[in-house]
Amino acid sequence: MIVEGKKLFPRRPDQHKVGKPLIPNGLGVIYVLFTTIYLFFVYFTGIVGPSNNVSAPLTLAVCILFGGFMGLLDDWIDLKWRFKAFMPLIAALPLIYFAAESGLRTSISLPLLGVLQFSEAYYFLIIPLIVMIVTNTVNQLGGLNGLETICPSIILIGLMILSSSYILMIVPLLVWLILAGFNFQGKIFVGNTGSFAIGMTIASFAIITDLKLSLIISILPYVFNSVLILLTIFLIRKRASVIFNGKKLYSEHKRSLVTLVTYRRYLTERQVVIIISLIVASFTIFSTLLDFI
Amino acid sequence: MLIHCMLEEEILSNERLNKILKSFGGLRNASRASVICYSALLLILVIAFTVRLLPIRWEIPSGTMRLNEFDPYYQFSLTNQMVENGLLSPYYPEPGWRNEQLWYPDGLDMSRSLPSLPMTAAVLYGVVSFFGANIDLMAFCALLPAVLGTFACLIIYFIGKDIGGKTIGLFSALFLALSPSFLQRSSLGFFDSELPGMIGLLLFIFMFLRSIDSKRTLFSSILYSLAAAGSIAYFILGWGAAYFLVNLTVLFVFILLLLKRYSQRLLISYSITFGLALFIATKWPYVSLDYMISSAILPVAALFVLLCLAELLRYNINQKTKIYLTIAAVSITVGAIIIMWQLGYMEGIAGKFLTVLDPRIRSDSPLIESVAEHRISSWGFIYYELGLGVMFFLTGIYFTLRNPTNRNVFLLIFGATSLYFASSMVRLLVIFAPAFALLAAKGIIGLLKPFFALLKESSLTTGKSKRRLRRVGKEYGGGAIALIFMLLVLNLSFTPQNGGIPRAITQAYSPITISSGSLPIAPNEPVNEWLDMLNYTNSNLQSTDVVCAWWDYGYWLGIPGNVTSLADNATVNTTKIENIGFIFMAPEDQSIPILAQYDAKYILVFHTVFIGVSQDQANYIASPGIWGDEGKWSWMASISGANRDRFIQNGWIDESIMWTDENDFGSVDTNTGTWIWNTAGRDSTIYKLMSWARQLYTESDAAQEVGVLPDEIIIEPTYFKPAFISGVNISPFEYGGVIPLVALYEIDYESYYNATST
Repeated sequence: MIVEGKKLFPRRPDQHKVGKPLIPNGLGVIYVLFTTIYLFFVYFTGIVGPSNNVSAPLTLAVCILFGGFMGLLDDWIDLKWRFKAFMPLIAALPLIYFAAESGLRTSISLPLLGVLQFSEAYYFLIIPLIVMIVTNTVNQLGGLNGLETICPSIILIGLMILSSSYILMIVPLLVWLILAGFNFQGKIFVGNTGSFAIGMTIASFAIITDLKLSLIISILPYVFNSVLILLTIFLIRKRASVIFNGKKLYSEHKRSLVTLVTYRRYLTERQVVIIISLIVASFTIFSTLLDFI
Repeated sequence: MLIHCMLEEEILSNERLNKILKSFGGLRNASRASVICYSALLLILVIAFTVRLLPIRWEIPSGTMRLNEFDPYYQFSLTNQMVENGLLSPYYPEPGWRNEQLWYPDGLDMSRSLPSLPMTAAVLYGVVSFFGANIDLMAFCALLPAVLGTFACLIIYFIGKDIGGKTIGLFSALFLALSPSFLQRSSLGFFDSELPGMIGLLLFIFMFLRSIDSKRTLFSSILYSLAAAGSIAYFILGWGAAYFLVNLTVLFVFILLLLKRYSQRLLISYSITFGLALFIATKWPYVSLDYMISSAILPVAALFVLLCLAELLRYNINQKTKIYLTIAAVSITVGAIIIMWQLGYMEGIAGKFLTVLDPRIRSDSPLIESVAEHRISSWGFIYYELGLGVMFFLTGIYFTLRNPTNRNVFLLIFGATSLYFASSMVRLLVIFAPAFALLAAKGIIGLLKPFFALLKESSLTTGKSKRRLRRVGKEYGGGAIALIFMLLVLNLSFTPQNGGIPRAITQAYSPITISSGSLPIAPNEPVNEWLDMLNYTNSNLQSTDVVCAWWDYGYWLGIPGNVTSLADNATVNTTKIENIGFIFMAPEDQSIPILAQYDAKYILVFHTVFIGVSQDQANYIASPGIWGDEGKWSWMASISGANRDRFIQNGWIDESIMWTDENDFGSVDTNTGTWIWNTAGRDSTIYKLMSWARQLYTESDAAQEVGVLPDEIIIEPTYFKPAFISGVNISPFEYGGVIPLVALYEIDYESYYNATST
């Protein structure tokens, strides 16, 4: 597949390798296509039938397809910020409809705070917000081999453990893990196509299976990363950048999660990815445990 | 030398041959593209037609095709009149045709009808008959919507083609063909005013946009204006919603003026189109000259003045004169409108249209609100209808905004206004359908175009802003196209919001109302109860016998049932509808005198019964359903109750027992959610008529066989004797536990007078 991939897919230089070798990019599209086909299969075999006349697998498929398409657009012509921020709202529509028709809870029960009842606002405010924030924050944490693939799969596995309809995500998860494996070894990039699609997957799967709280907790490291990046851009108008000295990564500022981890510390790319993955994993485990309690 | 010449000639001829071959090759390429395009179009049209024919499944057993819902029967009776007595017979000689079998005793003035649809049908029927086809008129009318609906898809192809090429045309034809709201109103049997409306609308858009195209010669521009005039006149004479198109066009031309895109061509097209269209339309007695001074049509004249002004200002006259001219023209227009308004010449817009502009007015009027198709459409309903096509629609708007040519400006205004009206009234989603189809097609093509270019060219892309374009491979183009294709497949074929079944199919694949016995179900066999009742009235009652029923069934009784009815969907006399509501809600003693006033011989109720299981699981229980008059009586109560004072003043009923709305007849049991009638409710005529029909059903052999018991003790009505109850003999499980009962009672005046005189 990789040999083929090298021929088929456009390439992008790997910034954090000696000699900056060209790596095939945009393989996330494989994930999108496999997932859609699998979800169609789930629908046709009736494993997950329609509830209240709305089909969960097909709703998921629409959202993921849309996320993938958005990523393709972004890979090709850098989408402007305002488009990237608001385009996921379109994909929120099927989810709102799904939630409204199948009568999902319109409340979120938070620890300490108790049950927050949103009623109508849940459909028109909370779901769009979840979709918008999750998709964009997942897209923002990347740039290192494996980072943009391993972390989302941890969150997805966490959600699947808690959900009774984990069957919807089994094959997509496998495909994503295979891609993650190659990505971690530095053989491929999933591109924005992949990261938008997986962001959309996490958001829509959590909404469809009603696991908002677990999603909110596990996504916190991502939100932290995005807030850090956005704040520095707004306040000092500077972007985060990590220095590569030929062997290790290093940074002189704390403008994102990656630079925070590598701040005045020499770490290899793999070490950084593993540290951040562990952070995400701990949040995910915490959210999973919370649900079991 | 000779050899040289020969050689030269040979080379020349070779070149010529090559050229010829090349041009043939070009021709072959061109024709290959157009062969694909036209076969796709043909396929879309075939799909459009066959999807619209799906309800025929329930018509085959009876061997003929009937009309859907209620209003189409009204149109049918007009068509029938035209076929038998000439095209103008409903209108001329004055005062035209009055159908005495409807709205007894006044009759229904059929000359107040719009002629486009019945005339189209009558003319086409004449053509078909001329060629020797012997087809039943009702079957022909039932088939016509499918044909016209397909024709509409063809027209939108040409509009789309003008806007952005064949591909946009094809996509918009596909979207329109499968648009659920348009599909519903153009499928088998839906012989109603939306058809000429949509045909007129689309033809007008096509013709008018071509007529203002400055690239065309003046002659062809004038021809297109004439055709546009014909189309809009057809619309005005076909569907009341023509106000929308007229004002849309006025708004469009006005915006062109504001954008400084005035041209002489615009003035010419505008004046020919509207001048001729209004001239034709006002020739009709119902439309008449009053149409010209209705506040919805006056902007046409006002804009004409502005266009003339714009024309004058183009000439080389000094600034001062220009200012004077402008002030004079504007003040004359405004002044004229104010004077006409003050003098009361200006006709208000009919209530129904005003309520579209401001849906809040509607909630005050139970009569308008009781009609389902007048409801406000919620976001959920619109998404349910359009699915993720909304995404393409939005991108379509984006691409249109980026390139505001005249056509695109029109498209934009059309999309925005029709979306507003569609969200204000469910029924108007049909007007939004073509705007949606065109904009969504534009969105898809806009999204795909760069990827197609990518696929055709090499991996290096060239574009306006090279900085922002990345080096990507052809595969990207392929990937994007595959994703869009799958999104479309999901949207059209495996609609997630409809449980994976195409929205178009659920819309189309259901029997027409009368063949499903007015039940919203899609059984394997047609539900014959209503047909049986109409056959009964046809063969056992006189056409002059008056049958009292709620207005929904007026057309069925008066036209296919061939008896005389009191009220129907024409709702020309709201007092009469209140009175009928009174008849049904009042106790027998109070309703019989009113029935006598109307010379009613029979009274008809439609009652659906659900068969459930008793709590001890030993018996089946027959309890009221929801789809018959048991679901409609609350409207009867609130429509009549809204005018309770009139009934009291007339001395029809004592104040102590007169109601204001349905809450005077009982209440909803908060535990079970079922309706519990109180004493007044159990005394009402409608309750007795419905429940007695249910009682008789439980006494029938079919029900006795499996042991069906009534849900409560039911008392026989005193003065109403069952004449024929359709559905009383069907097995409880024939339609999955639903029993449609159409009950016709004869009114026993004799025993009433005997009882009241003693």
